[in-house]
Amino acid sequence: MTVRLLVAAYALLGVTAVLAAGEPEFAITLRDRQFTPAEIRIPAGVKVKLVVDNQDAGPEEFDSHALNREKVIPGKTKATIFIGPLAPGRYPFIGEFNATTARGEVVAQ
Amino acid sequence: MKARAAAAALLIAATYGPSAYADPDDYVALPGVEYGERELELRFGTATKSGEDRASAASLAFGYGLTPWWATEVYAKYNRSGSEATRFDAIEWENKFEIGEPGQYFVDMGFLVELEWANDRAEGYELRIGPLFQKDFGLVQTNFNFLLERHFRSDEHEVTELGYQWQVKYRWRPEFEFGLQGFGDVGKWNDWDPHDVQTHTVGPAIFGKFPLGGQQVFKYNAAVLFKASSAAADRTLRAQLEYEF
Repeated sequence: MTVRLLVAAYALLGVTAVLAAGEPEFAITLRDRQFTPAEIRIPAGVKVKLVVDNQDAGPEEFDSHALNREKVIPGKTKATIFIGPLAPGRYPFIGEFNATTARGEVVAQ
Repeated sequence: MKARAAAAALLIAATYGPSAYADPDDYVALPGVEYGERELELRFGTATKSGEDRASAASLAFGYGLTPWWATEVYAKYNRSGSEATRFDAIEWENKFEIGEPGQYFVDMGFLVELEWANDRAEGYELRIGPLFQKDFGLVQTNFNFLLERHFRSDEHEVTELGYQWQVKYRWRPEFEFGLQGFGDVGKWNDWDPHDVQTHTVGPAIFGKFPLGGQQVFKYNAAVLFKASSAAADRTLRAQLEYEF
């Protein structure tokens, strides 16, 4: 019975998945293995869209344990990353392939 | 009671052919795809059940993120029963398709398609497909997958069976996360077996990852699973190690 309920609940979640639309958008640029801006302020409690423009030649992986996101961005391409709604706080992220220089934080407030 | 359950499980296996029960080294598939990432993977599992030989399985795999939404992986699978020699079991081709971006929809979704060529021709081919779901609640990540499995061109009666996998984990630190995992099979997809012949297991699990510099990452997860139904293995130890580069 429990299994049937779990299956039904997750099926319902899948079926009722609603298309996201109209999220506030924030741009981040990766150039010379550094994120600009390194601190992105977003509204707390709202889902937002980060558009990361990798202007370097090589790939980078946007990685954030706090945000539970890992996204490889090939060189000279852009990637969209959805985050939130977040509780107020600071959420660090790194470029995993260049973790010493590519660092930043999302600040939800 | 246990003897009756075991007899019923054997009867069903004999009636319906190759079992869809999860291999001891099965893992919880995640809906995400990492584009351009290559990985070497080792899976291992061993299960014990009172009155039966220990069943062990291991898999070696190479995977690649072909596109932002499609990852493919090829496994060489081995198994061992009791004191018998380890034997080559099958080649498996796994394909995972990510639907949308993580966080884009209310739940993150993917779809799994696995095709297995058994070394024992009598087992025919095995197809396993199904949706993968993930939902995060802050630092708590939940996953649930239900998978349909069917053998083709096997010597036995072919039926489509339903299995599931789930996990809940607390993402404490990148190097160490902890939670629970569960696996189960309920029998024919539209005519479930009686509960005492279904297999359900659940137990604690740990997870983590260690960056090795550049594009190299080591990931692990492991669980000790206990039976939650009489037909399941008493204890299963399973682990998955991944080297991404």
